[in-house]
Amino acid sequence: MTESWKQRGQVTGRLLAVVAVALVLLAVDRARAVLHEPIVFDPAGRAPGVFPERWIHGSKSAMDNEDPPVQVHAYNEHTIILRENKAINYEGAFMYLFFGNGRVLLIDQGSTSSPALFPLREVVDEVVSDWAEARGVPEPELIVANSHLHGDHYAAWNQFVDRPNTVLVGLTHEEMMAFWGFTDFPTERIEFDLGGRLLIVTGSPGHQGSELSFYDSWTDLLYTGDMFYRGRLYLDDWAAWAASIQRLGAIADEFPVAHLVNNHIEMTSTAGVDYPIGTTWQPDEPPMQMTRAMLDVAIEATEKIDKPGIYIYDDFMIYNEIPWATTTDP
Amino acid sequence: MLLTPALKRRWLILCLLGWLLSTPCYAHLLNMTRVSVVLHEAEAGELLVEIDLGQSLMGAADYWALAKAEGDERSRRLAPVLEALERGLTLRIDGANVGRTFVDAQFEAASLAAIENPLTPQMAQLRWRLPPTAGSVLSVELAPDFEVPWPCLVRSDSDRRTLPVSRLLTADRLSSGALALTEQHPSEAGQDSIIDLLMVYGFLGFQHILPLGLDHVLFVLGLFFLGGGVRQLVALVSCFTVAHSLTLALATFRIVDLPAELVEPLIAASIVYVGLERLLVTDSGALVRQKLRYGVVFSFGLLHGLGFARVLGEVGLPDGQFLLSLLAFNVGVELGQLFVLLLAFLCFGFFQNRSWYASCIATPGATVVAGVGLYWLIQRISV
Repeated sequence: MTESWKQRGQVTGRLLAVVAVALVLLAVDRARAVLHEPIVFDPAGRAPGVFPERWIHGSKSAMDNEDPPVQVHAYNEHTIILRENKAINYEGAFMYLFFGNGRVLLIDQGSTSSPALFPLREVVDEVVSDWAEARGVPEPELIVANSHLHGDHYAAWNQFVDRPNTVLVGLTHEEMMAFWGFTDFPTERIEFDLGGRLLIVTGSPGHQGSELSFYDSWTDLLYTGDMFYRGRLYLDDWAAWAASIQRLGAIADEFPVAHLVNNHIEMTSTAGVDYPIGTTWQPDEPPMQMTRAMLDVAIEATEKIDKPGIYIYDDFMIYNEIPWATTTDP
Repeated sequence: MLLTPALKRRWLILCLLGWLLSTPCYAHLLNMTRVSVVLHEAEAGELLVEIDLGQSLMGAADYWALAKAEGDERSRRLAPVLEALERGLTLRIDGANVGRTFVDAQFEAASLAAIENPLTPQMAQLRWRLPPTAGSVLSVELAPDFEVPWPCLVRSDSDRRTLPVSRLLTADRLSSGALALTEQHPSEAGQDSIIDLLMVYGFLGFQHILPLGLDHVLFVLGLFFLGGGVRQLVALVSCFTVAHSLTLALATFRIVDLPAELVEPLIAASIVYVGLERLLVTDSGALVRQKLRYGVVFSFGLLHGLGFARVLGEVGLPDGQFLLSLLAFNVGVELGQLFVLLLAFLCFGFFQNRSWYASCIATPGATVVAGVGLYWLIQRISV
């Protein structure tokens, strides 16, 4: 009898230990969930952000340049803007990291392939790792995407090919369309859920046939890539660009766009004056971000321009269907 | 408002200085090379190369002369370029070189000055015909001494795929690696040969025990803590292996299909069971009789096989090498299990005959196994 009770007690004790192990693990789970509540990207408000006073803009002697190869600027804690050093490549292309819960979107990979000259992967890895560490969450999945299919925006794409926890959208029109889910490009608007952060993706061809624009409902930033920026807007297809600009205008009418952000700065701060193509030092750059009023000027231009040529405006130049890399330089 | 001529001259000088002083800023991105391969199973395919010949394989003046030449003169001037491209650009299907027949070329050449300026790219388009192929893997490779304007975008289209595949070749990555020509999405790397295929799927199988298959690891550890000697352990693990191999094959061939919502909680329940089996052994006997234990472990093996099949389903199997890949995956799983048992033996096996083994190792170990299993069970049911 006593022995039997002893055995029963032993079995009960072991069962309780099993339950205790499970309960401890469930409690740890719960604690982690409480500590790491998902970030709320409320589209109703406007997440504030700041641009730098001036971007790093190259140097007189590119060889003596001591700036980092990639400038990292936190527009806010979940939105990072990167810029390639103009001393490495005159394009000085901007790239973007939009963080959501569990996913982070990298738009564009700059103009230089060599990791020795342009260690984009290293920089992105560090930014992503720091972001995750600061929140005590696992590193989010990286989506390597492109605004459009020109080599000055995917040159360092290869640096991400063997990166773990990474999705490569691909460098063909078809792969881009399939990833974003377009069935009616370019007019369709795709709602893309970046882990609670809603992006509206739409087609904006004209400069290049696969170009995309993104509206971020959390920051109210409207990303216009190469199709609208402070510089020479080289247009392959005027009709497509005009329609794209008007579609962006419709988005700006419908949503409270805070700033238009994009890929390059080629204008000087003097209205209607650009830096020559290939410039590696731009001490007199205007801000990268653009305004709704500037978009309205472009929309107005779409109603007036009816033939190929170069059209100069205060904040941008339209190079309408003229040979690639034609400039107004002497 | 426009810049004054003096200001413009100043900018131009600065620009030129920057240009001359820095090699890194000199980029050939506007004239990057494009290689497009279109392959069909029943008809001829096409290789299209777009390249800035005036900035790479030929000098600007030679390219200008080529673009202006006609008839035999054009063929004579083009011959060395074709030879260089034949030698420098290799296509392989399933590891074998693909022959090609030159079809035609078009040369963009606005002016000699435009050819000389890398910022005003003047691209040549060269086209070859490719034979029909039923192969499954393409690779595009550039010879180390083949200088093209970087980067080089490779695009592969096949009539057996819905989407093209793109890769970027750079000076430090001269091969596209394996590009699947069929509709599948396994890891596309390293399937140039049968050996590579076995390695890839064997590794995937191993990986789905360690480090990804913690639930399967715990089940195997639960069997280890059951004790009963090496012979019994081998017999139990064999039962488990036979069972999960069976359902892995059946599920892969879609003969058996159970939803993950059912399979995953049952796998967790099997882990609870195998832990309790050890913990509830009393002087009056085990939870189930010895002979029944084999049956129970076999049943749980069937469940775990369905779990493996789900994972393998996400990875995909190549059409041409279905059985071989499945076998390799299974072998990888077995090696993973054996590795877990080996580690368990190395850590605890030497103490199995000690008086304190049951109370200090086996019982706490089985408690953790059952406890974690119970945690997963609750988690998976609640999900």
